[in-house]
Amino acid sequence: MKNNTVTMHERDMQKVSVNQRIGKIIALVLVYAFLIFMAIAVLFPFYWMLNSSLKSLDEYRQSVPTFWPKKVLFSNYATAFTKANLGRLFMNTLYVGLVSTILSLVITVLSAFAFARLEFKGKNVLFAALLATMMIPGELFTITNYITVSNFGWKNTYTVLIVPFLVSVFYIYLLRQNFLQIPNELYLAAKVDGTSDIKYLWKVMIPLSLPTLISITILKMMGAWNSYIWPRLVANDEAHQMITNGLRNAFTETTGDVNYPVQMAAVAIVSLPLFLVFVFLRKYIMKGVSRSGIKG
Amino acid sequence: MKVVLQNLTKIFPSRNKKSNEEVVAVNDFTFEIPDGKLIGLLGPSGCGKSTTLYMICGLQKPTSGRIFFGDDDVTDLAPENRGVGLVFQNYALYPHMTVKQNILFPLQNLRGADKPTKEEMLERAYSAAQLVQIDELMDRKPSELSGGQQQRVAIARALVKMPRVLLLDEPLSNLDARLRLQTREEIRRIQRETQITTVFVTHDQEEAMSISDMIVVMKSGVVQQIGAPQEVYDDPKNLFVAKFLGTPPINVFEGRVFEGILYIGEERILSVPGADDGEVYVGIRPEGFILDDGGPLHCKLSSVEVMGRDVSVVSTNPFAVSPVIRSIINADNKVNTESETVSYSLKRHKVFIFDRETEERVYFEV
Amino acid sequence: MVESKQQWKAWLYLSPAIVLLLVFTVWPIINTVRMAFLEDYSGLEAIGGRVFTFGIGNFAKVIKYKSFLKCLKNTVLLCVPTVLVSSFLALLIAVCLNSIKPLQKLLQTIFFLPYVTNSIAIGMVFAAMFNIVGNLGTKGHDIIVTAGIINNIIEFFGGHAVNWINAGSTYAANMTVMIIYIVWNALPFKILILLGGLQSINKQYYDAARVDGTSRTRIFSRITVPLLSPMIAYVVITGFIGGFKEYTSIVGIFGESMGPVHDSGRLNTMVGFIYDSLSRNRQGRASAAALILFVIILIVTLINLQVSKKKVHY
Repeated sequence: MKNNTVTMHERDMQKVSVNQRIGKIIALVLVYAFLIFMAIAVLFPFYWMLNSSLKSLDEYRQSVPTFWPKKVLFSNYATAFTKANLGRLFMNTLYVGLVSTILSLVITVLSAFAFARLEFKGKNVLFAALLATMMIPGELFTITNYITVSNFGWKNTYTVLIVPFLVSVFYIYLLRQNFLQIPNELYLAAKVDGTSDIKYLWKVMIPLSLPTLISITILKMMGAWNSYIWPRLVANDEAHQMITNGLRNAFTETTGDVNYPVQMAAVAIVSLPLFLVFVFLRKYIMKGVSRSGIKG
Repeated sequence: MKVVLQNLTKIFPSRNKKSNEEVVAVNDFTFEIPDGKLIGLLGPSGCGKSTTLYMICGLQKPTSGRIFFGDDDVTDLAPENRGVGLVFQNYALYPHMTVKQNILFPLQNLRGADKPTKEEMLERAYSAAQLVQIDELMDRKPSELSGGQQQRVAIARALVKMPRVLLLDEPLSNLDARLRLQTREEIRRIQRETQITTVFVTHDQEEAMSISDMIVVMKSGVVQQIGAPQEVYDDPKNLFVAKFLGTPPINVFEGRVFEGILYIGEERILSVPGADDGEVYVGIRPEGFILDDGGPLHCKLSSVEVMGRDVSVVSTNPFAVSPVIRSIINADNKVNTESETVSYSLKRHKVFIFDRETEERVYFEV
Repeated sequence: MVESKQQWKAWLYLSPAIVLLLVFTVWPIINTVRMAFLEDYSGLEAIGGRVFTFGIGNFAKVIKYKSFLKCLKNTVLLCVPTVLVSSFLALLIAVCLNSIKPLQKLLQTIFFLPYVTNSIAIGMVFAAMFNIVGNLGTKGHDIIVTAGIINNIIEFFGGHAVNWINAGSTYAANMTVMIIYIVWNALPFKILILLGGLQSINKQYYDAARVDGTSRTRIFSRITVPLLSPMIAYVVITGFIGGFKEYTSIVGIFGESMGPVHDSGRLNTMVGFIYDSLSRNRQGRASAAALILFVIILIVTLINLQVSKKKVHY
């Protein structure tokens, strides 16, 4: 093979170089234009929600839309809060979310510990069986679970909103993987020192896997906040209603002659906690989501 | 293609936003690489050798200075217009393509009049593969190849577009010791056959010395010395270069020159006519020692390591900078292992003295 | 000693999980299959003492059932385009995001924002945006006082206002709104996964491509996409699995009537069908539909895996 490249003249090369630079700049402008356009498309519903929620009904209905309320009206929020009984819904959802998160964490930690650290007969078979259940869509369980909780007499209680979803195979799997990364020698050393399992879990394993636990907590809370189908089936009474159901029930009409400003104010109130969680705990949510691939 | 680096400088802005310290990766590097030679850029990690390579390649832009390929100023040219071939340290073979697809890839990028026909491409890919002796592996994926074979594929991929300059970034560092010896001969052979001006970067002085036509020794962004390997080894310009080249490394002592005589401690070691008086470092190559009971340099004997043809005598001396002194002696000379001390006389041309302050070489008449 | 102690300890720690799984996961699997194969099974009638015969009648009925076929059609029509569009858009956005430095973090955060929203709540916002505000006639399309913001924008650019979701709206308009909303909702997760994948691709491949003068489009098609293919496959497969279970986003926009005022149930999906059957105490039919849904998801996943086996580089 011979080195037979054609040497370009210096001037030609500079021309090529200038052309390339122009191409690069155009590409960059296009990339930013596209991204910013998409970002606006993503943000627009949020903006429109806030904008509408601060308008009077008359202003909202003007044939030329205003992109900022002429007169900022916070009273929509008060109206929405009372109309949809949001206070009660918040308390219900928070209660269900907190209790189910705490219980779920305890169960998950104990199970993950058993799978990661203890030796027992049938461990691998059991674990494989658990993972296999993840393939099955949740709707398949719902039918029977509806019958089961009816038979238990759990309808319209908090229990029915909490207990059926306490065990998540996926969270057990996630935490077990995390626990496995902690060297077994630490556990054996603790045993030699006479540390109890619970103390070891509390002092060593939990601190070391805190990020995973936080991710699980957030996803679990978001799950409570967004749950709709199951609560509608089994606990749709006023005393136990969850926030999403309450919101949907309070504003059954979505089309036609609706008082949208109040509706949008209610939506904004419901969205706010999630938004705050997102702002402060973005890192954990993104980490949890990218590993789980589930909608909270 | 001759490559000229003119006052090449690269300054990286500080990574830490708070402090404004800049990192001078390469400082005022001027060098003309003659056509068709194999050049080794040599230095410890962080000395700027890789940055220099990336600047020649075009992946990094120099802060100041110019780069010429032949008479063309390529400083502002994008890498693809420079006609360079680059072999990455970990090869950067596309894992989803076969060996053949990997080698064909640069050719398929060509556009317009330069674009060869399909047959020409295949022909060139096969001749490049033949050159590096991997033509039987064309349908494998990189993951099915050994490290040495991957290395060859990477070289073939760099060569297939007939670059004006071939650049290799730490080409041997990912290979085991045996393959390393074999592959460096390979690189030498390929370079000889293709006659492409080749620059490679390494931190391993043995590697650089063994195959380069010329080596460039760098330290903290500054070129220390440029020359043929033997020349640099025999005539280091400063203590750093002397210490960096050679295995086992050079032995360094604290000494002083007084009225043309070199002293280590109170012992008169050598007459060094022409050297100025003052405190110095004395560097003695391991092969510069001669066993001599009447010799001027006395050391405490620690051990004798037999290496077959040679023996290595390990001893200590209170004035040595390194913890032990290692000399290489022909095995014909019997060392009295019972003795507590060992005495040497020295080969004059294997002794270098350096100013204690500047660490620059102090020359004397040999 | 330690071994046997570990045995009972392990079962002790696992006991809450196992008990709950037995009741709420294992039993439902068995029972759902049982109910699906009992002809016309109904929980209420079972309590009343009726005995059901074994058979595949539920499946036969479900498949012939017009409303089920409509639900299946809706589900497929919502699932396929949204998965394809959102995957492609997400890939484009992720690649663009990965290629810029200034504003990258900010834009990344913005693109993730829809993830942390309640799909019912934001569905209501979309409904407001697509609504025709003052449609005074509930049956017809007579007096339109003001169109919603989307129609305002369309009119601003010289188009004609469209009745998207109100009474009298067309099926195509309804589906368009649903597809836009579902894509909007599906983007963040896909962008997150794909961007993560892009950022883990070794930069040297791109340096190597640059030295070889590879054009932008070729870098995209020959390097980025193949190296990202496992992530793309993952995003598409999970997208299909989620898409076949579409339900709440429709409730978000159209309410529980699952369709515009004049044609409720028009946009009902497979999951919606299951819940309707359940609320009418037709557990047998619901179970059969759920099993069919499971099998469809399984088949689609297997096809996806088969395709990706050929195309995906791991």
